[in-house]
Amino acid sequence: MLVHEPGARSTALRICAAALVALCAALPSPSQEATSVPPIIPFPTETRTLPNGLNVIVVPMPSDGLAAYWSIVRTGSRDEYEQGRTGFAHFFEHMMFRGTERFPSDVYNRVITTIGADANAYTTDDHTAYHLAMAAEDLEQVMQLESDRFQNLSYAESAFQTEAGAVYGEYRKSRTEPEFALYEELLAKAFERHPYGHTTMGYESDIKIMPSLFEYSRDFFKRYYRPENTVLFIAGDVQPDAVFALVEKYYGGWQRGYVPPQIPVEPAQTAERRVDVRYDGQTLPILLIGYKLPVYDAADRTRVAADLFADLAFGETSEAYGRLVLDEQVVEDLDAGAAYNRDPGLLEIYARVKDPAKIDYVLGVIDETIAQFRAAPPDSSRLSDLQKRLRYGFLMGLQTPDAVASRVAQFIALSGDLAGLDRLHATYAAITPADVQTAAQLYLNPERRTVGVLRARQ
Amino acid sequence: MSRALRIAAVTLAVFGTACTPPSAPPAATEPEGPAVVLLNVPADPTISFSLQFAVGSQNDPPGKEGLAYLTGEMLADAGTETRSLDEILAALYPLAAGYDVRVDLERSTLSGRVHRDNLDAYLELFTDAFLKPAFDEDDFARIKSDSINAIENTLRYSSDEELGKAALHEAVFRGTRYAHLNQGTVEGLRAITLDDVRAFYLQHYTRANALLGLGGGFDQALVDRVSGAVRQLPAGEPTAPPSIEPPPIAGRSVVLVDKPNADASISFGFPLDVRRGERDFYALWIANSWLGEHRNQSSHLFNVIRELRGLNYGDYSYIEEFPEGGERNMPPVNVPRRIQLFEVWIRTLPNEQAPFALRAALRELQLLVDEGMTPEEFELTRTFLKKYSLHFAETTAARLGYAVDDRFYGLETEGHLARFRRMLDELTLDDVNAAMKRHWQYDNLQIAIVTGEAERMRAMLASGEPTPITYPNPKPAAILEEDRIIEAWPLNLAEQRMTTVPVAEAFER
Repeated sequence: MLVHEPGARSTALRICAAALVALCAALPSPSQEATSVPPIIPFPTETRTLPNGLNVIVVPMPSDGLAAYWSIVRTGSRDEYEQGRTGFAHFFEHMMFRGTERFPSDVYNRVITTIGADANAYTTDDHTAYHLAMAAEDLEQVMQLESDRFQNLSYAESAFQTEAGAVYGEYRKSRTEPEFALYEELLAKAFERHPYGHTTMGYESDIKIMPSLFEYSRDFFKRYYRPENTVLFIAGDVQPDAVFALVEKYYGGWQRGYVPPQIPVEPAQTAERRVDVRYDGQTLPILLIGYKLPVYDAADRTRVAADLFADLAFGETSEAYGRLVLDEQVVEDLDAGAAYNRDPGLLEIYARVKDPAKIDYVLGVIDETIAQFRAAPPDSSRLSDLQKRLRYGFLMGLQTPDAVASRVAQFIALSGDLAGLDRLHATYAAITPADVQTAAQLYLNPERRTVGVLRARQ
Repeated sequence: MSRALRIAAVTLAVFGTACTPPSAPPAATEPEGPAVVLLNVPADPTISFSLQFAVGSQNDPPGKEGLAYLTGEMLADAGTETRSLDEILAALYPLAAGYDVRVDLERSTLSGRVHRDNLDAYLELFTDAFLKPAFDEDDFARIKSDSINAIENTLRYSSDEELGKAALHEAVFRGTRYAHLNQGTVEGLRAITLDDVRAFYLQHYTRANALLGLGGGFDQALVDRVSGAVRQLPAGEPTAPPSIEPPPIAGRSVVLVDKPNADASISFGFPLDVRRGERDFYALWIANSWLGEHRNQSSHLFNVIRELRGLNYGDYSYIEEFPEGGERNMPPVNVPRRIQLFEVWIRTLPNEQAPFALRAALRELQLLVDEGMTPEEFELTRTFLKKYSLHFAETTAARLGYAVDDRFYGLETEGHLARFRRMLDELTLDDVNAAMKRHWQYDNLQIAIVTGEAERMRAMLASGEPTPITYPNPKPAAILEEDRIIEAWPLNLAEQRMTTVPVAEAFER
């Protein structure tokens, strides 16, 4: 996830007692049946779709006069399918702060400063989010600004070229991190055709030529920044009817025109791949393994179980963690997780190894662990603890409008609404130890994986 | 970040629970200690814990730099007499809870948060952490190894910006017990034994040093239980803070951290003896917000260096400690200090553009100190801060953190943020501009630059020759005209006041 530098990202505004009581009372049981698919968010939600296709989700919640305003564009680095044009979704995130004819960037910034809003944006594989935490009383003023820039963005070529320097600066900052260097290479090796083969930042060679792609940037905006590709999520001390009225006023004239990207299908991987990276600096060796997953489906228990497998097998309460990190102390950090992407992504296992001579040993322990899960289902009490943790942790993170928005944005990007998130949590609760075993058997095969190893050059 | 904190970060977001503007909570001292700060928010179904000890890395014995840090980590990231670490992790797991320690220069703070449904299970784990640390050899070996690695590999080679800031801090406070990293030095960490940790714990983790904070939906019974647990610590004697007198900075000095292949990451500043509570501190806060509000487009430095010229990713300034600036957006809590550092942070940029960016920032500081803010800038910044500062303490845990810090600064009656909001109404433009002239200056500065071209950088800076830059795109005449001024702005850097440190030797001892 890349975050636009200015405008601090807010978590949390303040919420009143009623909201907390509601939240507390609403903690559902982990054993709840998946079939009912209850809403996971313990606040009322109202959704409307404008005739132009813009989805609007409003979550009224007591928040002491504060609100969160999120514009979620369902375009990310996944959509960068054209040769030489990687990194544009992220670059465009920067350009969206360059203003319009009506509200040039200095005017936009001045208004945001005057109302003390906490504004920021970020880009992921699948979506780009523009978000503000602010006083609810400033809602119309913010909507006026936000609707204007999404419909009428206008910037000079010189401003475009200047911003390219800032983007390159961001890349320079990131590339000093060994994890970034390895991740960049691993993705390129794992994905031969799909744009998931590059990081959200894009290839350095493409970043360098960005200043010459002014016209392309305008095309990018016209193709993707359209109402039917955008979800507006507003939470906090707001009245849905009043919000919808404002949305119709300010976004009603936004024209359809979304052009779906021609994203190539990644061919099935048939053999293990390896990538060795030499890092120009001193670092502990890093082992990063990516297993190809099938497309994410919140209702698919096996696919969802892949993420639970990752935590049960390599999380902090796993046997592998206890052995490698705590007992033998050959690994400094061990982690794993499965992607929630629109297209088939990766289940990643990460280990920072203390001794370069132990890389193969650690890989062997990882393989042993996977073999155990393929051979037998995990202990049901561990799975139950994880299910409780997932549900409890999610709900405890919903106390403020901005926190609610930040928790749901990724899932809105996947499905365009909140239904997928509800389904996911219902599926979490329904997963059995056998589902976890099946996921390991189906997805944790050597021919589906790419093994990346980073070592210091000297 | 410790393992326990990651649990909390992944699974917990903090509740915001205040329905009225934050004000200082009541503070009390139990009959036999400890001092207690209570922030009762009955509707909050979670409870935030804070147990702060008046000891920090400034109390590391010479030659054992890192002892306070390792001791803190041995409480928060290691086993206890009743449970091994893996048992603790397993017990915390379904609670979606955790606890962590922050060891700073002056204070070590153990903090955590849990839903009240899980209070009993959690409370035993939390209190065991500070009452019954096991000081297990394996835990110690792991934590010590990780701490050394954090300097040898991560700080030196993985984050040039944090490296630059740490180099600045070390140079400004050289010769004092503020100088070394909170985590210690490589040699200091290597010299520390488990017996050292045990002794440090017994000496400093005492009732005399303890300040207990509770926030959220707790009741008196919980106050009694946790206070009772803290009273099981030995009475002890208050830890004496060492004298901190940073060496005077005469003129401008530069430390170049020579890191092969690195772009340039720049920090500069000087010690600042104005603290929370003082009227001038709040005046400087307004000025600093205009000059360089952290990660905000309102930052003037951001506009000059990034927005108009596209040289880098961001440019900010600070009047208080702001660790993990690349990762956090709002100021942290529990890093109180007697002496602060005024600091300008210029994010990574190409080496050939570094002298220009440095000149630009030095010029902006000088113009601000000499000419002051304009009435329009003052009013805009004041308006901005009135709402923006609400984000600083949105949650019970953050408010509790501020309240605990208020005790350090003697602000327990009004509270720092409440005073700031009052000051925003009281302070005048003249107050702000006068405060800058009293406390800020630009002649005597320490500069730190991480660079892959140390020798060339040194020559460029020492020569005083103009350092023009070129752009890949046309620029407005006004910017180019201003560039002519910036590129020749006096650096006043003498070569004999420049030192070069190979990155492999940074923070070694």
